[in-house]
Amino acid sequence: MLDRLYSRALALAASPHAMWVMAAISFAESSFFPLPPDILHKSSQHLMLTKEEYVRWMRSLQSRGWGVGHWPREYGGLAWSALERFVFEDELGRAGCPWVIPFGVKYVGPVIYTFGTEQQKRRFLAPIVSTDEWWAQGYSEPGAGSDLAGLRTAAERDGDYYIVNGQKCWTTYAQWADWMFCLVRTSRDERVQNGISFLLIDLRSPGVVVNPVRTMDMCHHVNEVWLDNVRVPVENRVGEEGGGWKLAKFLLVNERTYGSGVGESCFALGRLKALAAEMSCGVRSLGEHAAFRRRIDELELRVLVLETVSYQVLTDMLSGREAGAEASMLKIRASEVYQDLIEATVDALGYAGVAYDPQTLHGEGPPLLGPSDAGGILRYHLYNRAATIYGGSTEIQRNIIAKSVLGLPS
Amino acid sequence: MNGVAVSDAIAVDDTVSLLRESIERYMSSEHCTFERRWAALKSSRGYNERAWSDYASFGWLALRLPEEMGGLGADSHAVAPLMEAVGARLLLEPILASAIVGTGLVLRRANAAQRARLLPKLAEGSLKLALAHHETLNAFADDELACEYRQGALYGSKLAALHADCADKLIVSARDTSTYGPVGLYLVDAGAPGLHVDAFRLLDGRGAANLHFDAVVAEPLDAPGSRDASRAALAVALEEATVALCREALGAIRALNAATLAYVKTRKQFGRAIGANQALQHRLVETYVLEQEVRAMTLAAERALDAGAADAGAAGAVGAGVAGAGAAGAPGPATNAERMRIISGARAFICDAARRVAAEAVQMHGGIGVSDELDVSHYYRRVMVIGTLFGNREFHFTRFSELGG
Repeated sequence: MLDRLYSRALALAASPHAMWVMAAISFAESSFFPLPPDILHKSSQHLMLTKEEYVRWMRSLQSRGWGVGHWPREYGGLAWSALERFVFEDELGRAGCPWVIPFGVKYVGPVIYTFGTEQQKRRFLAPIVSTDEWWAQGYSEPGAGSDLAGLRTAAERDGDYYIVNGQKCWTTYAQWADWMFCLVRTSRDERVQNGISFLLIDLRSPGVVVNPVRTMDMCHHVNEVWLDNVRVPVENRVGEEGGGWKLAKFLLVNERTYGSGVGESCFALGRLKALAAEMSCGVRSLGEHAAFRRRIDELELRVLVLETVSYQVLTDMLSGREAGAEASMLKIRASEVYQDLIEATVDALGYAGVAYDPQTLHGEGPPLLGPSDAGGILRYHLYNRAATIYGGSTEIQRNIIAKSVLGLPS
Repeated sequence: MNGVAVSDAIAVDDTVSLLRESIERYMSSEHCTFERRWAALKSSRGYNERAWSDYASFGWLALRLPEEMGGLGADSHAVAPLMEAVGARLLLEPILASAIVGTGLVLRRANAAQRARLLPKLAEGSLKLALAHHETLNAFADDELACEYRQGALYGSKLAALHADCADKLIVSARDTSTYGPVGLYLVDAGAPGLHVDAFRLLDGRGAANLHFDAVVAEPLDAPGSRDASRAALAVALEEATVALCREALGAIRALNAATLAYVKTRKQFGRAIGANQALQHRLVETYVLEQEVRAMTLAAERALDAGAADAGAAGAVGAGVAGAGAAGAPGPATNAERMRIISGARAFICDAARRVAAEAVQMHGGIGVSDELDVSHYYRRVMVIGTLFGNREFHFTRFSELGG
């Protein structure tokens, strides 16, 4: 622990925020940290959390103001800088915490306080802060994945309402959500980005149907959401009619930034090392086998590079030197490193890495085979294949860098 | 998925051609659809009992049996198309565990009375076998067994035995220093008193079980042979399983590549097929090249296996063709080491290649690739299981490395 603080202090020596960072570290690791231990246990084993547990988790963060620490003070935040926000997420990841459910506090909240009307701010921000309302993200459609602007869900004006028809997919936790922020087409234009509007849809409205879709881990995280003549009050449109693409992009950049997953990778690396030491392989431990040892060492080096690059990007941001697509760069690397880390961890499990029962992933009952977190590791390995697809696939991130940084022709 | 080819014959006789035809016919029939597989996955058994009797009626379960018993005489030419179908269609039934590995062990180590009793039932599908061998999660070598055979009974535990959840009888490897040398093979009834079966599913839906033996009455497989005959037979069975898994992986890789290629040609984003992007084209070329490499390595591994069997047969010591067997008349260790090196090298390469192809298939399919609804994710999970059964990549790569130079 002291080693880590020391190296982090060195890494951050140039930053005026270093003192705050050190404070955050000691907060996260102190007994004052209000994280419910049952939730930490489940999340560190990659088990499935219930809605109640996630709500309790978000509220425990907000009990210190950390749930919306990155928001401006006038809306209840702590006005964290990008660095502070990064360090906070990093610490949560290192501790094996659940993810901060982003749909309200990271995605739609900032859209509303940046682009919304006073009335919208009054109506929607407080329940986001308190996690009294759960949000879902209505972006992807069957025909609009990488090409998000190709979306077809249509909203037709009918007096003070829009009548919305269409289908959204890969909608995470829509089964728990009260509201969905949604990109819809309000007009047809030669340029597909024009004519998109940003609507807030009450998922209890008549005409909304949420169907579960199981992912590769055979669990239920995502859904398809059907919208059949759903009436949405015009006052629930954020921004101008037809001006939704700007908001959509603002949100996507937020989605990518601050999510480099360094802490999560450190946690996974720690587990991999511990597992390699505890798994026997013949007369020695797996970690004592030269080939596996080297695999771990190479991953550790990649994690170090990811961490160093992440802090370099933040340092550059603080001094106003941004190349423009750092978030894309970090997302590509972080998702790849994590996938390789957890794949190595599954390999270390041997036969326990191929025994699987999704029913055992809720924290009750003994594991099928091997260490108690084997099933969770396997589940997360499978689910995490999506990390290079969601939030803008690796291919799309590379296109962004090619165009916006390298200036390559399309 | 269409276009599953199982025509990798080097020299095929009529019987094997007929087998290939029956496999291809079955794979394109309404009995072998993804929907049927879903239903089997959701059933308590985890596979389709009707499909199993179909396989028996096609003669697939008898393919290792000698011709005088209605079999095909069992070299890799017969096993290959069947195992390729197992991978291409993600078959769930215990073909590898029973028809390949279990039957192979009976052929090598069962005495005449046991053969007469077991082989006809194996051929007609009324008997399923599973091998219970591995004892730790991560060590795949067979040299230090803790499971013990004492005075007619077995004591100890086995881990993750493929299809031991549904097998009627188990073949158990155990130590018996008094009679059968360091490794003996024992036949146990699945319902025997003292046998505790802890069944579960593997990631790809196939069944497996952890087994605990507490004074379980067992019958030695004791055909006449050297003191090391069972150990040698076990080693051959594990080699055969290894090579069969290479072929299964090839089936899965071919199906994945065909699916991905079809998808990138039809999926449109930004006004054109995503396959029009050179960034994807180069990756598709890479997975195509991997498929060619996997095919060549699979064929090489099959040749190595057949050559070993032929040498062993010529030496008059069935099943002795394994390094370390030490049986009189076995081929020289250098030859065997070379064969094992090819087989383990093929397996290590194919574990990696299959994983890369599956990861690319998921990635290029995008969101639908990570859904449980589409078969791509099922292939991904199957490839993970193939990569671990009977020795994972680390094990085979280490063996490849240790047998080198």
